[in-house]
Amino acid sequence: MPPRADLLPGTLDLLILKSVSLGTLHGYGVLLRIEQITGGALLVEQGALYPALFRLEHRGLLQSEWGVSENNRRAKYYRLTAAGRRALRAETESWNRLTAAMAAALRTRTGEV
Amino acid sequence: MWVRLRSFVGGLARRARVERDLADEIEFHVRARAEHWERQGLLPPEAARKARLEFGAVEGYKERCREARGLRLIDELRGDLGYGLRQMRAAPMFTAIAVGILAIAVGANTAVFSVIEAALWRMLPVERPEELRELAWTARQDGFSGWYNGSMRPYPGGGLIATSFAYPVYAHVRDNSTAFADLFLFDRNDRINIGVAGQAHVVPGLLVSGSFFRGLGVEMAIGRPIVPEDDRAGTPPVAVLSYRCWQRLFGGNPSALGQTITVNSAPAVVIGVTPPGFYGVEPGRPIDLVVPITAILPAFYDDMPDILRSSRHWGFRVMGRLKPGVTDEEAQTETEALVRQALPVNPGQDERYDLTDVLVNAGGQGLDALRRNYARPLWLLMGIAGAILLIACANIAGLLLTRATSRQREISIRLAVGAGRARLVRQLLTESFLLACVGGGLGIGLAFVVRDRLLPLLNLVQEPLEVTLGLNLWLLAFSIGLCLAVGVLCGILPALRATRANVAPMLARAMPSGSASGSRLFAGKTLIALQVALSVVLLVGAGLFVGTLVNLRSEALGFRPEHVLLFDMDAALSGYEGTRLHDFYERALERVSAAPGVRAASMSQYGLLEGGGRTEDIVVSGAPRGRAKMHVHVLFVAPRFFETMGIPLLVGRDFTSSDREAAPRVALGNQTLARRLPGGRSPVGRRIRYGEPPDGDTEIIGMVADARFATLREPSPPILYLPYRQHQHHRMTFAMRAAGAPAALASAIRQTLAELDPNVPLLNVMTQNEQINRSVQQERTFAQLVSGFAALAVLLACLGIYGTLAYSVARRTSEIGLRMALGARPWNIVQLVLRESLIPVVMGAVLGLAGAIASTRLVESMLFGLTPHDAPTFLIATLALVGSALLAAWLPSRRAARVDPMSALRCE
Repeated sequence: MPPRADLLPGTLDLLILKSVSLGTLHGYGVLLRIEQITGGALLVEQGALYPALFRLEHRGLLQSEWGVSENNRRAKYYRLTAAGRRALRAETESWNRLTAAMAAALRTRTGEV
Repeated sequence: MWVRLRSFVGGLARRARVERDLADEIEFHVRARAEHWERQGLLPPEAARKARLEFGAVEGYKERCREARGLRLIDELRGDLGYGLRQMRAAPMFTAIAVGILAIAVGANTAVFSVIEAALWRMLPVERPEELRELAWTARQDGFSGWYNGSMRPYPGGGLIATSFAYPVYAHVRDNSTAFADLFLFDRNDRINIGVAGQAHVVPGLLVSGSFFRGLGVEMAIGRPIVPEDDRAGTPPVAVLSYRCWQRLFGGNPSALGQTITVNSAPAVVIGVTPPGFYGVEPGRPIDLVVPITAILPAFYDDMPDILRSSRHWGFRVMGRLKPGVTDEEAQTETEALVRQALPVNPGQDERYDLTDVLVNAGGQGLDALRRNYARPLWLLMGIAGAILLIACANIAGLLLTRATSRQREISIRLAVGAGRARLVRQLLTESFLLACVGGGLGIGLAFVVRDRLLPLLNLVQEPLEVTLGLNLWLLAFSIGLCLAVGVLCGILPALRATRANVAPMLARAMPSGSASGSRLFAGKTLIALQVALSVVLLVGAGLFVGTLVNLRSEALGFRPEHVLLFDMDAALSGYEGTRLHDFYERALERVSAAPGVRAASMSQYGLLEGGGRTEDIVVSGAPRGRAKMHVHVLFVAPRFFETMGIPLLVGRDFTSSDREAAPRVALGNQTLARRLPGGRSPVGRRIRYGEPPDGDTEIIGMVADARFATLREPSPPILYLPYRQHQHHRMTFAMRAAGAPAALASAIRQTLAELDPNVPLLNVMTQNEQINRSVQQERTFAQLVSGFAALAVLLACLGIYGTLAYSVARRTSEIGLRMALGARPWNIVQLVLRESLIPVVMGAVLGLAGAIASTRLVESMLFGLTPHDAPTFLIATLALVGSALLAAWLPSRRAARVDPMSALRCE
């Protein structure tokens, strides 16, 4: 198992939006998807997932409905709304800008200033 | 935003389902995880444990999920409400007292406000009332004389303002105005005699121009309105009835339409009924009949057939509906020009037409006589009710403050384990809001139950107020606002005080003491001072009003009101005129005099202290020029009037039945008139001119003592008494002196007069004493209401003092025990406790006296026989309050003095 890093504040919402954008998921599925797409590098508190899901749904970025899981249990599935899609795009761009800026900043060596 | 609101409301509405779903969702997650670990080779119990561990604190996350949907606030509120309700149930006595106090206070305020809303603010129940305008005009103080006979009153900008017009002036403006869509005229008549199926009824009504209903924008309940075609000379008269009149006289039967009734003995066909809410154009003075003025004219102005063509009779009021887009300035400019065009070109010497401005005033609320008369007394009552509410709030705040002490430990513990202060304040406020809502709700209900009995209580001026009190948005907003304000006022101080506790010492000791509760005592004393101050103001007010009433009622009347019964008749409304009218009254008086139990009977044009009267200029013959003219009150009377009323005849003789039409003109004067006659000799035998020559030459044949005439507030004016048969008039007030109880005469007299002519009804049957009481109606109302409120205020203040002291004594039991153990006598202890109450009471009394001195000026014009700073009243009010306060303080101090030192010390 690779060493795990704590999540930066605010990144959980973005990860959830990204996971759900790849296909409709239930809560546990979101957890698995995040582990999968981050290669297990990020540590997600499992319980913390749900307040985040509720928050996103409350903001209208996610929609939920009850369905049946792969092992025949009742499960709540989340889907990205149009607003969620727009939010994901905007958040991704700002994340990219931030990381690019951070990366550039951290690459700086003495003498280059 | 919308999405969130929907999600929030959805969560609120399907609360149970949201909870179940949340639990299911988490359960699913944990199971799936457990299965994952089982697949990794763990045993099921171990897998399940691991899954739960990984998930973390389930309840904590659930709470955060709810919070994410904004549901936490509601949960807390629900918790607080439940908690508050349990608190209320736990202390039923406290709750009952607090709710009762609040119900009375909120009820009084809602009731007074509902009258203010109905009488002062409400718009006419017509289409787009904001477009309506009322015409008025102003003149200089001396800018008019003989030609104007409408009513005028002083105008704030100087000069006089009048609201009535001559018909030709109205017609000219109506026919040429481009600013008004409709301009309509009306004339109120309070006594119209209508005959329905042979029965006579006297109702108030309006004579209107044809476009009245169209201009006002009123749809009929049934039938059709009066239209301009109905308003022509020679057209058969039509009539529109009010809804209540239709209900009363026709039982609400639609067959009333098309029936012929008589209106002042002229036949008129009923064509329509106004809707139930319609009361005419004057709030508080509803009308029952509307008739077209031109068609019905002969039945009303038989003695003035050319009244609609005369530019001397300025007796009609005019309202109009502005065309859309026309400004008030445009309307005013145009109307003023048109009014000036309509004034006669060559006025006579006595007729100066210098009207200054024509005004176009807002008319959407109807005529403003009611608002002018009632605004001041009503706002005064509102202020008093507001003071009661403040006292009630201070009282309950004091009670809550005391009660918070018994919960000090609970609050301290909650603060200690990390409850936020804001959260606790919110919870305590929820409790006071609960109290306010329950008490306020009860009060509002109370106000609506008693509202029908309220209006007679509020007969502030002689003319009764007839408004429909309704439930509407204004009232609802006021009531809800009141409850919220009460909740905050009662709760905020106790809540802030209670949560300011210093946690550690509170927890350390069972019995709270120290600085925190000391400051709470201070807060309690401030509240007491406030209540005492407001009570003093109310007591002083009550004293002034009661004193006024007593002074008025102990004024020497100059006549003997006991055993006198009065009633009015107006036979002119039933078609009698001229000599026939005089004959009718003479026969009626003969019958009344002969009735069993009547000692003496007579009649006069107006009753004494009825408030009515007429004034005229007379010319004294033989007096030097310049001093010959006298302004006097004139009263037409029948023989034996002075004997019946108990007014002593000082010199000369009374009128007799031979002082008739053809006999020489005679008159009597009262002392004031005799005193003012130029020359100063005995009045008997002197001659005056009253009215037009040659008829007017009149000899004074006697002098009677002065008696109060129109009002108790003023001494007798100069009065000229004239025999009724020698002059023209319509109505008569009959007076009879009974051997026994005057009211017992009524039915026999009713019967004997009905035999004479059933079409002439008896009006306003009452005893002279009832009449006098009516003339001081406003003073009586205020004396009663303010006394009642003041008593309530004192009671509340005493309750507050008692409660606070009792608490303070309980808190200091051990200290008192110690003092007694060290040799203090019971009397010392009583003094100790009384002294504690003395400071806030004295502070409050001083504050209250200052407030009373400042505020009683406002009622100066309503007082009689004492100044607003009447020293005895102030003294008595203060003594009464301090006395009650000491009594309230006495009980807890006695209990303190009975403390048993041993047990008091042991309980520490």
